[in-house]
Amino acid sequence: MAALSTTIRQQIWRGLMRYWSTQLETVAGITKSDLQAAVNAADDWADSNAASYNSALPTAFRTNATAAQKALLLAIVVLARYNAPIIRAIVGEVD
Amino acid sequence: MATRFVGLPSSAELPASAYPQLTQINQRPAMAFDAASDENCSWTDVAPQGLSGTLTLLIYYAMASATSGNTVWQAQIEAITDGDATDLDSATSFDTANSSSATAVPGTAGQLDVISITLTNADSIAAGDLYRISVNRDANNASDTATGDAYVLAVELRDSA
Repeated sequence: MAALSTTIRQQIWRGLMRYWSTQLETVAGITKSDLQAAVNAADDWADSNAASYNSALPTAFRTNATAAQKALLLAIVVLARYNAPIIRAIVGEVD
Repeated sequence: MATRFVGLPSSAELPASAYPQLTQINQRPAMAFDAASDENCSWTDVAPQGLSGTLTLLIYYAMASATSGNTVWQAQIEAITDGDATDLDSATSFDTANSSSATAVPGTAGQLDVISITLTNADSIAAGDLYRISVNRDANNASDTATGDAYVLAVELRDSA
C-alpha cells in the first residue's frame, strides 16, 4: 500500500475542515498547517504499519478479506472508541 | 463616520462558482467562507448622497470551529457612473483588491469578531454611482491559518464623513 497522493491528502484536509464546520465542532488550537501535517502523519503511520495490522488479523480474515474490507474494519473499530454516530451512519443501528 | 451600507447574507449576490454557502447558524443567516479555497460574494447598492472621504468595510463574522489562527479578507469596489462605458451585462470593472491584515480569530468558536478593511482602492466611487462590494476570504493566503469555515453575518460600509 502506497501513501496517499498529495491531492487525496488535501481532499481529506479540506473535507475534515468542512465536516467540523458543519458540525460546529470546536477545533481548538490547531491551524490549517497543523491539520495538514496531522493528515500527512496519519497517512504515513498507516503506510508504515499496514503490514503490522495485517499480520495481527486472524488467518481466515487476513487471507480472505480484501484490503478495502480490512481497512473498513480498522476504521470502524477505531471510530467506535471515539465517534460512534459516524459508524451508525455507515452501518446503521446495530443491536 | 457614517454607515453607508449594510449587507446581509440574504441579499448577497453569488458568482457562478466558488461562492460561500448560504446557511444558518442558530437561525442566523450566514455565508460560510471556506478555509481551503477562495470564495467570494458581492452586494449591489447606489452610493448615497453625502458619501465622502475614506471608505472602510467592516466584516462581521464568527468561526465555525477554529479557536486559533488568523483569517485574511479582501474587498473590492466596482463603481459605475452614469455614462460610463462599462458593458454591465458582459463586463466587470472591480478596482484592485484591498486586504485586511491577518487577524486572530476569537478564542471561542461562534463568537463575533469584526474585521476592518480600509478601501484605499475604491474605484473613485462617488455619490450616485451604482456600485458593488465584493468580499472574499483570502483562504489561500499563507497568513490565513485558521481552520474551518468563517461565517459572515453582515458587512458594513462606512465613510469618514
